[in-house]
Order: sequence, then C-alpha cells, then structure tokens
Amino acid sequence: MQILGKEVAIGSVDRELRLLWEQDKASTNASLMNLAVYSENDGAILRNSDLVQEITREHACRAILIGIDRDDPKASIRAWITAHCHLRHGRKSVCCEQIAFQLTGRATGRLRNTVFAHLNSDLPLVFWWQGELSSIFSERLYSLIERFVFDSSQWSDPAESFKCIERALKNANNFSPMDMEWTRSYAVRLAVAGLYDDPLAKQSLEYTNSIRIKVHPNHKMAGLQLLAWIIQSNGWKPLMDKRQDTEISDRFCFETNEGVEVTAVVETASSAAPIAELEISSPDCTVRVSRGADSRYLHQLLNVGSHRVEQSTPVSGNDPAELFMAQLSRGGKNSLFRMIIPTFLSFLGVNEEEIYGTNIE
Amino acid sequence: MNNPFRKDLVSRSQPEACTVVIFGATGDLTHRKLIPALYNLQLEGALPAGVKIVGFARREKTDEQFRSGLEEINRKVSRSGHDDEVWADFAQKIHYHQSEFQDADGYKRLAESLEEIDQERGGKGNRLFYIASAPSFFDDVLESLKDAGLNSCRAGCWSRVIVEKPFGIDLPSAQHLNEVVNKTFQEKDTYRIDHYLGKETAQNIMVLRFANAIFEPLWNNNYIDHIQITCAENLGMEGGRGGYYDKAGALRDMVQNHLLQLLSLVAMEPPTDLTADGVRDEKVKVLRSLRQWDTPELVAENVVRAQYTEGHVDGEKCVGYCQEDRVDPESTTEAYVALRIMIDTWRWSGVPFFVRMGKQLPKKATEISVHFKEPPTVLFNALSGGVPGGNVLVIRIQPDEGISLRMVSKIPGARLRLEPVKMDFHYSTSFGKGSPEAYERLLLDSMAGDATLFARRDEVEEAWKFIDHIESAWHESSNPPPVADYVAGTWGPKEADDLLAEGGRKWRRL
Repeated sequence: MQILGKEVAIGSVDRELRLLWEQDKASTNASLMNLAVYSENDGAILRNSDLVQEITREHACRAILIGIDRDDPKASIRAWITAHCHLRHGRKSVCCEQIAFQLTGRATGRLRNTVFAHLNSDLPLVFWWQGELSSIFSERLYSLIERFVFDSSQWSDPAESFKCIERALKNANNFSPMDMEWTRSYAVRLAVAGLYDDPLAKQSLEYTNSIRIKVHPNHKMAGLQLLAWIIQSNGWKPLMDKRQDTEISDRFCFETNEGVEVTAVVETASSAAPIAELEISSPDCTVRVSRGADSRYLHQLLNVGSHRVEQSTPVSGNDPAELFMAQLSRGGKNSLFRMIIPTFLSFLGVNEEEIYGTNIE
Repeated sequence: MNNPFRKDLVSRSQPEACTVVIFGATGDLTHRKLIPALYNLQLEGALPAGVKIVGFARREKTDEQFRSGLEEINRKVSRSGHDDEVWADFAQKIHYHQSEFQDADGYKRLAESLEEIDQERGGKGNRLFYIASAPSFFDDVLESLKDAGLNSCRAGCWSRVIVEKPFGIDLPSAQHLNEVVNKTFQEKDTYRIDHYLGKETAQNIMVLRFANAIFEPLWNNNYIDHIQITCAENLGMEGGRGGYYDKAGALRDMVQNHLLQLLSLVAMEPPTDLTADGVRDEKVKVLRSLRQWDTPELVAENVVRAQYTEGHVDGEKCVGYCQEDRVDPESTTEAYVALRIMIDTWRWSGVPFFVRMGKQLPKKATEISVHFKEPPTVLFNALSGGVPGGNVLVIRIQPDEGISLRMVSKIPGARLRLEPVKMDFHYSTSFGKGSPEAYERLLLDSMAGDATLFARRDEVEEAWKFIDHIESAWHESSNPPPVADYVAGTWGPKEADDLLAEGGRKWRRL
C-alpha cells in the first residue's frame, strides 16, 4: 500500500492534505475536476494509482481512488493521501493530489458519504467505473456525477448494464455516460469521416450495399456502436426481420435513403486488433479502415473509380489510461454517443419498455 | 451535400478536400510553418483525404528534392515529432511546380497540373492558393492566377486565396492590393492571415469576455481605468532581418496587424453571432472609432518611437539598432513604439489604451492587461501604505499563456495591512497537452470556409488609415517628432514612461 502514500485517519484527510502542500512550496497544486476511480476488483486500487499518475500528466485533477471489497467480513474504511507531480514543459512542477479509500464489508454502504465529502467544490465529478456495474450504481450515486466513464467490453451482460445506463440518463440531468468502447472507435470514425470528405465517396454513400466490421471478441460492443453510428449518421432504416446472428457474426440489414439494401456484418476474430477492420462498399466505391493486431497505425484506403487514396495515421493502443485521457480531451456532453444509443440498444435486442422494468442486483 | 459522418464528430466547421498551392514554396514560412502544420493535421487525422499540396517557386527542383527538403525541416520543427510512416503517405500528397512568378506559361502549366490532380481525385476542383512569397510578388501572382483562369472554379467547388502579411505598407498600397485581390477573388474567398488570431489565448479573449458573466458588466469606462497591450521581443535583427525591418519598422510590422487585432478583440461589442462577419463587423467598428492622431503635434503627444542603443540582453552584448546588419546607419526607423490610443465610443470614452512593441527588450512576452479603477479609499487610505494598487486582469498571449487577476488582500496579523495577491491560471498547468500551432487552425478554417479568424478588407484598411497618419507625421512633416533611444535590454525609453505618467499610471512590469 506504500504506493498510495501516507495512511491517514478518515477524519483528518483534509488536514493531512494541507500539511502535504505546506511541506513543498515549489510545487503548484492544480485541479480542473474531481476524478473518482472505482473498482471492486482485488488489488485494483494500486494499479489505479499508476493510472492516475499517467492521467495527471495531461489532466489536472483531485483524484479519489475507491477500492471496494464487499465480501470481507470486517467493516472498515482506510484512507491514504499522496500527490502526483510532473514537470510541465520542463519548467514548473505541477502536482495533483490523490486520496485513496479502501472500503470493506458493510462499510461499503458508507461510500457516498465518505468519498463525496472530499470532493473539490465547484469542480465537475468524473467517475470512472471499472468492471461490472453493481447495486452501488444507484440514483443516489449517479445523481452526483457529471461524467460517467465505463468500459462495456468488461461487462458480461451488456444489454442489462446498458439498460441501467439508459435509466440513469433519463433520471439524472447532468449525467453524461462515456463508454471506453466508443472511445476505441474514435480513430476509426475520424478516418471514415475523412475518407468520405472525398466528393465521389460521398456521392456513393447512399448506394452502399455492404458493411463489414471485424473486431476482437472482447470488443463486440465497439463494433456494434460503430455500426450504429454509420446507420444513425445516414438515417438508414433497419430491416429487423432480416437479422441473423451466429456465434462469430451478427448480420443486419438496412435500407438507405435511396432504397438500396445494405447488408452489415459484425464479425469477431480472436487474433484481431480490438477494432480490426471496417469496410463500407458500394458498386463504385470501397472505403476500408484497418489495423493489424500489433500495429500502431490505422491504414485507410479509398477506392472510387480510378481514384485511390491510401494513408496511415498513428493511433494509440488499448491502454486504459490513454483511452481515458483521449476521452477527457474531447470534453463536451458526448452527444454523438447519446445519439447512437437507441440504435445500438436495438442491436442488443433492448427496447425502451424494458429499460424501466429492470434492476441490477 | 455535407458529409454525414462529420456531424458532431468534432465541434468545428468541416474542412473540405482541396489542392493547396503554396507560392513561395522554397521559403522559410513554407518549411517551418505551413508544411509542419499540414503534416500535424494529417497526423491527427484532421486533414481531409484527398488534400494535395503543390509548391510553386522559382528554383529548379524535382518533387523528390522538394519533399526531402521539407522532411529535413519537419523532423526538426514538427510539434508532434516526425513519424516516418505518416510522412511517407503525407509526402505523396506533395508536388513541386517550378515557375517564375511572372511567367504566364508557368501558370498555364499549373492549371494543367491542377486539372490532372482534379481528374485523379474524381473531378472535384477545390483550390486554396497560399501566397507566401515576398510581398513584391503579390500583384504578379494574383494577376497571373486570374489570367490563367485559376481564380474561377466549377459549380459546387471553390477557389480561395490566403494572403500573408504584410498586407500593404500603407493605406494606398493596401487598397491597391485589395483591389487586385478582389478583382481576382471575391472578398468571401479572401483570407488575410494574421497568425496571432490563431493563437489559443487570442481566441480565448472572446470566451473570457462573453462566456463569463462577471467580466462584461465591468468592461467599460465606469470600471476600467486603462488597458495596456504589450509585445516585447528580446531579439534584434538576427538572421538578416534588418533589411526588411528597416523598411517596415515596429508600427507597420506589429502594431498595424497583430496588436490592433488584439485591441479590437478586447474592445469590441458582443457580436450578434459567431459567424465570420458577425465577429468582424464588431471588430471593424472599433477600428473605425480610433481617434486619429492626424497632426505631427498629436503624434508627438500620443506616440513615442525609439531605437535601442548598445546594451545587454540575456547576458549577451548586443549592438545598437543602427549598427545592426542590413540596417541603414542613418536610419530613423523605430525598433520600439508606444502609443496612447483612444476609442471614441460610448463604452470606451475616456479610457486610454496604451500599446507598446519593442525589440531588444529584457524578455519575450505578449500580453493584454486591463487595469481597473481603484475603489474609493475612504476606508483604507488612513492605513500606512494605503491601498496597494487596483485590480489588474492580465491575458497572457505568449509565452506561458494564461490569465491572472490581481486583487488586494489583508496580510494575516493583528494589524490591518493590505497587499496585492494574484490569482493565476496557466494553460500549461491546467492543460498538460500542448496547443496546436496557429497555422493548423487557420489552414483548417480556410479549407472549411470559416473566415472568422482572418482579417477582412475594411479591417485592414481602417487599421492602415490610423497608422498612416503617424507614419506621415514621422516621415513627411517638416517638424517630425524625435526618435528616442533606450539601452538594449531595458524596458524602452523614458518618453514611453512619460506617456503614461499623467494620471499616475505606469507600464506594467512583465
């Protein structure tokens, strides 16, 4: 637990933080948000301290790490404080404070009161939930959160968990969900948008007859979200009765605004990169964005008539800190993600009526 | 037809694929700024697919030689580093076109090359002409573009021109250039670049003023005593710059464009919307309202010009301005200028704007400081030391971009003693990630048809109108105001301090 810094009594966290800053006058304390990182996995709190060290290089925050062990018979709350410091532009040492809480047994019920007593006032709360959603994700919690970051690739039952997210969206005014799977597809979406800036490619879009998305089995949500984005952006209509799912692929059918039937396949391959390939084809045009399993480049190809564009752009890996930072950098209310949720949920077989009748325990 | 995939993907206007033709492609601006900016846009996936770049210059070069020269510099200056794989793709977009600027045949061949590129790209013919050549070629380039028919475009396409500063050397030359430009391109397709407007902090001026309810009610002559705009440089005429500078001077080189642009952003009324003309309409009103210093006497009262003499900057010995390389030893060109500017509007009546720009000053810094009036001293004036100055809001443009606010606070203790304290926001502290280069933003904006951060014809001409009176008093009157001097490495001449001394004001110590 040394990595978490100095262990302090719960009642004296603020006083100890003040003392920490008084010891080092050369540093600047910076914070633009409260960042809570929550995990119910054993040992995650230590790994998360390393993640926060990375994140604070670019995003000044007050970090609050929360480790939960509900199975521990003993009810306890322990707290540690430390600061993550970085030299900015080779000049100034900028530090962000971190408070770590470990809650066990019945004390986990005191999460909200304990943790949220230590937020920096007026700054938004970004809550990074790692792993499966649990009963702790309730209105009492999410009503306090501005941005809720999760990774649906870690969920065993995405349909059920997304229903909870959708309910939170309806119930809480300022709640803005952000899925790391959606972040993973950002570079692909940007590349597709860039290729369709080409006027001929743009003209061919409504004549699309095939979409093929290949993803790693762990990242099927990213594939489905990508498909939802394509369909939603173009306003194409689903032909639900033509849907076919197999173990390795989901097949959907849509109709473009020009009445062309589009067959879309989301397939998985265990040797593939998280999002390995997206290909959109019409009789005259192929747009392909692909990435090798170990490649740090996204290859982009546009083939339209006799015109061909090929280019590569570097993309970040699948590292959670990098993904999280990329998500934070874009800021905003994530309106595009919210826009595609209904279509995406329909791919998961979830309809609106189901959302309000479900509880997670 | 808009690209549906761009909707909400990034919150900015959509850049369109085009061919960028750079005139003066072998120059420093192309190598150090334009190509690295386009490369970084490609690196971030922001450059539309199908963008092609054609370098137009006089020297004989092959595509390969041109690319390898650009690559060598990009390795050194690109803000995101240099990635060989990305460069390999990017370089394929770059072509070289050798021609004299006045050679009609060269433009004819250019038109054919562009046609080929368009054919290859599927018939779309958007073109962005970037005139980065020496100003003396502006006319030739523009007229030749027109003669070759390159100013017009097919239906549904666009043809735009970006013109680098200096945009004229006085009002008549600017008007002439505007006429030449507007005979060739419509005003809506003309982008006069002022890279200061592409800087993050310059863009933040409007956000600070209009997105924070606490400032705008105070932003007038009821609460503001005066405003200072400072651009300090700690360099002289290195790198052969003296030749250009001695003809231009600080007033034309920096004040006419960058500093008056900053002034208009600070002083303008809230625009009705954020469209290019919405913002520029308000900026030009400020420039139209500048009180004209139109006699030598008024210039002598309100403007100070100066040259540096031998001294030390950053511990290094430096020569005086007239001893600099390529500077006329008898030169009266100003390396420093300080102005009192009055804006005759309801909002700014009686509020002086002090603007200064100088070479060989102690450090490099550009900032705007808003000095608020002091509160009534009835409560604290009896205290020893009194009230230590009023509130000052500082907007730092470069380096160390940020905003600070000086306030007065009580020193802890049994006695009532007051001291100034500073609330400080640094971009670099709060946002670890570096800002994009101004040229990246401006190039994307021009591809997207967003001219908000570019100067409009009337802005440029109004600014020259103000500057010309001063230049005329200095160089054409029988009784010109004197040229003051200051030791290199100091904060300018005493005469500039005297400009503020009335009313007990002082230049802010940077």
